[in-house]
Amino acid sequence: MAVRLEIALKPHLFDAEGSELCRKIRDYFGWDVGRARVIRVITLETSLSPDELEAIRTEIFTNPVSQVSSFRPLASGDDFQWAIWVGYRPGVRDTAGSVALEAIADFLRRPLGKDDAAYTSKIFLLYDAPLQRAQVDTIARELLANDIIQQWRIYAREEWDAEEGIGLICPKVALRHRPTVEKIAIGSDEELKALSDARNLALNPRDIPVIRRYFLRPDVLQQRARVGLDLPTDVELETIGQARSDHCNHNTFRGRFHYKDVDTGRETVVDNLFKTCIEAPTLAVQARKDWVVSVLWDNAGAARFDNDHLYVITGETHNSPSTMEAYGGALTGIVGVYRDPMGTGKGSRLIAGLYGYCVGPRDYAGPLRPHLHPRRLLDGVVEGVRDGGNKHGVPTVFGNLFYHPSYLGKCLVFVAALGIMPRHIQGEPAEKKKPEPGDLIVMAGGRVGKDGIHGVTASSQSYSEQTPAGHVQIGDPYTQKKMHDFLLEARDEGLITFITDNGGGGLSSSVGESAHLAGGAHVELDRVPLKYEGLDVWEIWVSESQERMTVAVRPENLDRFMTLAALHEVECTVIGRYEDTGKLHLTYQGKTCAYLDLSFFREDFPQWEFQAHWRSPESRGLTEPVMSEPEDYGRLLADLLASPNLCSREWIQRQYDHEVQGTSVVKFLVGRCRDVPNDAAVLRPVLTSRRGLAVTQALHPPYGLIDTYHMVEASIDECVRRLLAVGGLLDEIGGVDNFCWPSIQYDEHKNPDGRYKAAQLVRANWALKDMCLAYGIPLLSGKDSMYVDGHLPGTYGERHKVSGLPTMLFTATTVVEDITRCLTMDVKMPGDWVYVLGETRHEMGGSEYYEKFGYVGVTVPKADPAAFLGLYQAVEAAVREGLLASCRAVGRGGLAVHGALKALAGNLGMHWDLGAVPVSGKMSPAVLLFSESLGRFLVTVAPERREAFEAHFKGWPVGLLGRVTEDPVFVVRDGSGREILRESLETLGRSYRGGS
Amino acid sequence: MAEVRALVLTGFGLNCDWETAHILTLAGARAERGHLNQLICGAKTLRDYHIFVIGGGFSWADDHGAGVILAMRLKHRLRDEILTFVENGGLVLGICNGFQVLVNTGLLPGFEPGRLSRQVALIDNDCGRFRDQWVHCVFEASSPCVFTRGLTAMDLPVRHGEGKFFAEPGILDRLERNRQVVVRYAFADGRPAGGAFPENPNGSLHDIAGICDATGRIFGLMPHPEAFHHWTNHPDWTWEKERYRRAGLPFPEEGAGLRLFRNAVDYVREQGAR
Repeated sequence: MAVRLEIALKPHLFDAEGSELCRKIRDYFGWDVGRARVIRVITLETSLSPDELEAIRTEIFTNPVSQVSSFRPLASGDDFQWAIWVGYRPGVRDTAGSVALEAIADFLRRPLGKDDAAYTSKIFLLYDAPLQRAQVDTIARELLANDIIQQWRIYAREEWDAEEGIGLICPKVALRHRPTVEKIAIGSDEELKALSDARNLALNPRDIPVIRRYFLRPDVLQQRARVGLDLPTDVELETIGQARSDHCNHNTFRGRFHYKDVDTGRETVVDNLFKTCIEAPTLAVQARKDWVVSVLWDNAGAARFDNDHLYVITGETHNSPSTMEAYGGALTGIVGVYRDPMGTGKGSRLIAGLYGYCVGPRDYAGPLRPHLHPRRLLDGVVEGVRDGGNKHGVPTVFGNLFYHPSYLGKCLVFVAALGIMPRHIQGEPAEKKKPEPGDLIVMAGGRVGKDGIHGVTASSQSYSEQTPAGHVQIGDPYTQKKMHDFLLEARDEGLITFITDNGGGGLSSSVGESAHLAGGAHVELDRVPLKYEGLDVWEIWVSESQERMTVAVRPENLDRFMTLAALHEVECTVIGRYEDTGKLHLTYQGKTCAYLDLSFFREDFPQWEFQAHWRSPESRGLTEPVMSEPEDYGRLLADLLASPNLCSREWIQRQYDHEVQGTSVVKFLVGRCRDVPNDAAVLRPVLTSRRGLAVTQALHPPYGLIDTYHMVEASIDECVRRLLAVGGLLDEIGGVDNFCWPSIQYDEHKNPDGRYKAAQLVRANWALKDMCLAYGIPLLSGKDSMYVDGHLPGTYGERHKVSGLPTMLFTATTVVEDITRCLTMDVKMPGDWVYVLGETRHEMGGSEYYEKFGYVGVTVPKADPAAFLGLYQAVEAAVREGLLASCRAVGRGGLAVHGALKALAGNLGMHWDLGAVPVSGKMSPAVLLFSESLGRFLVTVAPERREAFEAHFKGWPVGLLGRVTEDPVFVVRDGSGREILRESLETLGRSYRGGS
Repeated sequence: MAEVRALVLTGFGLNCDWETAHILTLAGARAERGHLNQLICGAKTLRDYHIFVIGGGFSWADDHGAGVILAMRLKHRLRDEILTFVENGGLVLGICNGFQVLVNTGLLPGFEPGRLSRQVALIDNDCGRFRDQWVHCVFEASSPCVFTRGLTAMDLPVRHGEGKFFAEPGILDRLERNRQVVVRYAFADGRPAGGAFPENPNGSLHDIAGICDATGRIFGLMPHPEAFHHWTNHPDWTWEKERYRRAGLPFPEEGAGLRLFRNAVDYVREQGAR
């Protein structure tokens, strides 16, 4: 029987969620709603007796101090203007619903029935809300619910039935479908291509002849006949489609690029960007650095933290799902990337998460209509990462936010994760793992549903009331945190011989890839526990249902493994066995449904080919703008600090638990008001050690408007300086490259500038290689996400392709030998000397300053690693010797912006003389203040260390800019001594903090 | 000297267990982490410990109210064991999610020892969001709480979305009268925050950040003392470092949060560890 339990705060208590809703309604739409209250609804479909129902109402679901509840509607209909009910669509992960069932079973001390279900939803009551129905519908559609995963109903007061309320709504998945295995006809390439399109297999046309040839080989046919197969099955083609996808196989990065410099006519063939620009430099660096332990093959890279520990790191993106459903997409993204360190080596413990968001302008009011407005999208993404990280018990320590209209088409959501593991587990190296024939294949964690099948291609399909909304998922950090804790205990007991996560491609990917290591695998797909019946066999195999790991366990260890799983209440199921047959063998109810030679996956599939045409910025017509020096530098600086890409993001970081685990040494936000981003965060992952781990990130898409080579240079150079600024070791810097690029395949109509975008990708990779070799940075991990394009409806029913700026987020880590030597960027004491290290050049192209006036320019900042490196070594030594009181790597916005931020953070003023800035040539004050030249630091030095500092940096480009003052004013004089800028910290702070 | 043994609860989405065990070790206890189900199945028993800590986290994802389901499980499975533990002089500390658990079991405010009754609640922050920030805490000198003896003020981080202390006026009066309000949110100068945001980060009535039971041996608070185990945890430590250096003073080692745990360990020693 179904009942509906409604729970609300007692009427005299302040409803914070309702108040936040009113605030957002005002913020989003400009409408005033006097008051809102929230009713939580749990709809139970169980066989509980009335007494039991009453008992769980009072004992579990109602707090007698703060709440009221009833199995009848709580809203009388006498006072509210509008009621909005919002609930999930069928099949959407409802963690609160499953937790409710867990709690009920625990309370009753008996398991519930197989079909018992609990669904949570909410009713929002709006009071003093003079709104029309259309407005309420907008609130539901654009603020409270997303029609991809949720459904809603709206009630005006006069429509409300105080007896029935919302009625009984049970979004149960009902698939009246008998699981089948279908055979696929491969009579011709065309036939297979047509079937691939019809079934959404996304097989690459170039792969199709290779696939057909395999299935038509006499020896293959003969072997298949022995297991009862002839034509390929849908399970097999899904497996191949998944294994050959760009997502899993990185066909773009492994492609062949015909690069042509159109200006000079010179042509070059670049065979495989991954091999030449990522793998080769990383192996070269690894060969001379013994701290680089495990790279280029596992879910995350591993590096030495100290003699007893390795740290691991990886970065991911979750762009398409977040564009469709911001909260669920970002939540699934962070929870998903957390499985990578869990599945690295024999498993590591999570120690930190990072985020990066690239979205359209928050106040976008143009004609294009993205599925979610950027404002709502950003709020959703921020909250998704918040809940995913916080509930996982992992500190979210650092992050980025970058606004640009090009991300209206598709937003970027970067998530990165760090973990730590002991160097050895039961005497074996922790980073090594290999399933052996005979090992059992165990699926741990959640169950399998239609989630994420074929990724977002499903989003264009139409919905019915009972169709699962499978393609967009909502991650469940609770289930995963339980699994995390369990797996670490199993690891420490030596029960895990191999582990990997189930992400893209699901079991098909995790078992498929690990089968290669063992030499074969046999999986009985009917053993896989399902969320609901009715999945086809291929769906079980490729489903991307979250919170699952695939583990290899020796048969003799299984009992202990399952006992530990039971203790932690983590569902684990043996679904098969690794073998040495050379085959991927799948059965369903005893019948073979896939029988593929593993060697087939290593066959010579055709390499993807790209035309890449480069034209220099000058030949593309870029020039420097013609503008005179400004007169009001102070107001200009204040306005820059208020610009969306420089202003305070405290509102984001404040929502993230960045201190759980007790490892926080240098926080992301520093200063007296704790709201200025520091260069890097520093953690102390081993609480009994003085060693620290520093981590930072940088991205510079605007420089890519001029040349993506210099865009990547800038990001890597900035990361290096940022790590030095907190006291990190120069020699132990590791990197993670995350590329997000629009489609680069040229098409006369669909992608007319594809060849240019391909050239941009090649150049970005060349810079990656050059910089990694120059600074000795191995790429510990990396990922590429292509197709950052969206097709947005405009005013007249037309659609516009919007391609995101080519973007590369660089994440870098290094070790800090002694955390007590760490520095932060805030100025510390009045009277301290302010120096600038490194040369300032006229490099205004792509700068925040130019952007303020709508210019791009052409003089993009360039790196000169050979020249910079000596200064960086001197900075590293200066930190070690304690010569600095604060340090800042100068980045976006130039000296003026970073000087102002240092002052704001320290809540102290500064007096500067621009005549002291080391330069080559003569420069105007605007260039000195706002040029974004790389290779520079702003530091402060205690008076008693001035002499030692100057001796230390003798011979390097260093200029004594001025002093820190008690008086909270930022004053700048030009080379002639004329005061050109005087602005109070109050004004600068108001600008910086005013935007959001 | 007798060994002081502490158990830090783990499982079901609880976190903060590693650093809580670490700070207990620094304070001189032998700290272990133990899964809730180990207590329930009897593999571990509170009889073997002097201090029982339920730390921060999101037990059962905090769905259906922070700490509610863990509280229910403790009450239904371990009620007698916990009550006996307290009766025999054991110390119970609930931090953040643990505090939420203690008020939902009714162990706090525990006006009448041995009776479990929910009298207070920790509800959504007034700001409507999770917040991680450092707060100034001031301690009630005349409180019976054994964890806070001799403490006057310290900075600690709060990290929660449901930390607003709420109770009806009669209960608040009783708490105040009994000096069970142990710790309050305050301004930097030590004056109670008077509800001012963000000094009072969640809108707690009477600025209440933590309370103890009538015996002073059960204590719950929203701020995280275990997160201030080392001086470098404090957001201002690099600033303080410059002051120490220029005054020629050595750097400190400990974080202020350690004092609270040392009090607990010292108390057990005074009572004569079993």
